[in-house]
Amino acid sequence: MLNYTLRRLLMVIPTLLILVIFAFYLMRLAPGGPFTSERPLPPAVMANVLERYGMDEPLYVQLWTYIKNIICCFDFGPSFAQKDRTVNDVIAQGFPVTLTYGFWSAVFVLMLGVPLGIIAALRHNGFWDYTMTGLAIFSQIFPNFVLAPLLVLLFTLSWGLLPGGGWNGGQWQYIVMPAIALGTSYMASVARLTRGSMLEVLGSPYIRTARAKGLPERTIILRHALKPALLPTLTYMGPVFVYMITGSVFVDVFFSTGGIGQDFIDGAYSRDYSILLGLAILYAVLTFALTLAVDLLYAWIDPKVRAGLS
Amino acid sequence: MIGAVKRRLNSAAFADERAGEMVASRSFWADAGRRFLRNRMAVFSVGMLSVLILFAIVGNLFSRWSFEEIDWNVLGRIKEDGGPSLENGHWFGVDELGRDLYARVVQGTRTSLLVGFIAGPVSVLLGATLGALAGYYGGRFDRTVLGAYTIWLAIPYIIFFVVWQAFFGRSMSQMILVIILVNWTAGLLLVRGQVMMLKNREFVDAARMLGMSDFAIIFRHLAPNVLWVVVIYTSLVIPEVIMMESLVSFLGVGIQEPNTSLGALLSEGASTMTFGTLWQLGFPAAVFVLAQVSLFYIGDGLRDALDPKER
Repeated sequence: MLNYTLRRLLMVIPTLLILVIFAFYLMRLAPGGPFTSERPLPPAVMANVLERYGMDEPLYVQLWTYIKNIICCFDFGPSFAQKDRTVNDVIAQGFPVTLTYGFWSAVFVLMLGVPLGIIAALRHNGFWDYTMTGLAIFSQIFPNFVLAPLLVLLFTLSWGLLPGGGWNGGQWQYIVMPAIALGTSYMASVARLTRGSMLEVLGSPYIRTARAKGLPERTIILRHALKPALLPTLTYMGPVFVYMITGSVFVDVFFSTGGIGQDFIDGAYSRDYSILLGLAILYAVLTFALTLAVDLLYAWIDPKVRAGLS
Repeated sequence: MIGAVKRRLNSAAFADERAGEMVASRSFWADAGRRFLRNRMAVFSVGMLSVLILFAIVGNLFSRWSFEEIDWNVLGRIKEDGGPSLENGHWFGVDELGRDLYARVVQGTRTSLLVGFIAGPVSVLLGATLGALAGYYGGRFDRTVLGAYTIWLAIPYIIFFVVWQAFFGRSMSQMILVIILVNWTAGLLLVRGQVMMLKNREFVDAARMLGMSDFAIIFRHLAPNVLWVVVIYTSLVIPEVIMMESLVSFLGVGIQEPNTSLGALLSEGASTMTFGTLWQLGFPAAVFVLAQVSLFYIGDGLRDALDPKER
């Protein structure tokens, strides 16, 4: 188990390196830069600015300095476009926001998706089952960027219940819509997956045995069926987190929550190399951490997987 | 009455007809086609999608305005005069800048469908070819491809997408290119699994005995057998690609103005809905949802028709 964890962690390093090198060269090979503008700077000023940011050196030296600074001092460099701010400042300000509604969104996905899937399986071909199928189709057709304006239209413009954007220190009213907009489609997939595996488990021989023993239905479902039925859902949470990170960029932009997604898009516009690289690394590390956590949890719960690892 | 039916059932013409039907129905694709046609929702969706495609191609003929022309008569009074109207020729109203929304929706639908129907199939073709090669050869090549696949899936595509779009211009061909690059894993695992299963079958051995090259075996003998997987997967990837394109356009790093796409129109509509110009959100959203609904049911129908487990 420990061995496996270490191996996975070691895998992260080359992957991140590839990502950084690739992104670095991709950005630098493109024409233009953070200091090119409509009104070009005088050459002397430009040279000074470039020197100030270390951009007068050859690319591989810059890349080396960048990586060295990250490893030695956890320094992701200064922002090129936002004066007087470092990448660390930007992340420190925006990341907690993204993390907060991301967390609540994950809670929403699990707390609604799993029970819905179980109920749909227990009432196979019943009302809840059809509701869920409808929800699954709905979520496929209304992705977050269609759903979010509709939510604002209903909750803010029509009923005036919730604020249509902003963050305000993370009051709950400001978290509800971002969490729902981010989570709905994954909630539907989680429900569908849980339903499928629950149906499969309920049809298996050992559940029949439990029924034959005369166990109450409640015990059968809670003690015997639930745990194995939830395993596929758990593995699916890894990819869900990856998609949610993609979705969070959209949520940050649409709801103006002040999360890192907005900085990412702004950085792309203003050619802010260091912000883009820093956030790309952050997104990647986050995905790795979350998928690894899910995999380890899976191994911890499922003895068969655990045996396969060691 | 009964006599007429009997006579018809015993006639040579009827026998020929039935026999022809039986011979024809032996082909897997003919069977699948029949199953698909029996799925009413799928057939209806094909019709709906055809209407949308027609709308994207010839919709401009019914428009009095071009998609970049500003109507100065309504600019400044968009909330009052800019709504959908038959009199001034703005069937869908005008957008925030006074441009005809109908012409823009036609243009946006064209962009989104083109991106979907070019980038989707091409990326599946790429992924499927890689998957087939990996499954067929196995060994180190397989491990490399699979390793790259796992790493790639662990990176949110948006990183790559946004960086690429922002730095290398935002034309339609760039968009298609980057979507193909991002989606190179489409269908890879499925085709790989199928090929691994099929490559030990007798017909592959027979082909090898006959001295066929690996290339010929993969593309002449294995490819027709995994085609159904590829078709199903393509039908799933196309709406996904359209969604991807729309999301990126919504974020503002999509196709360059004045060209537009459904995602960009949705984004514009969403940003102005507080001003009471809801048609700017409604029409693009309706077209987008229509496209997604029809693609969803077509994919559903194809899956039911082609999946051998269903037979």
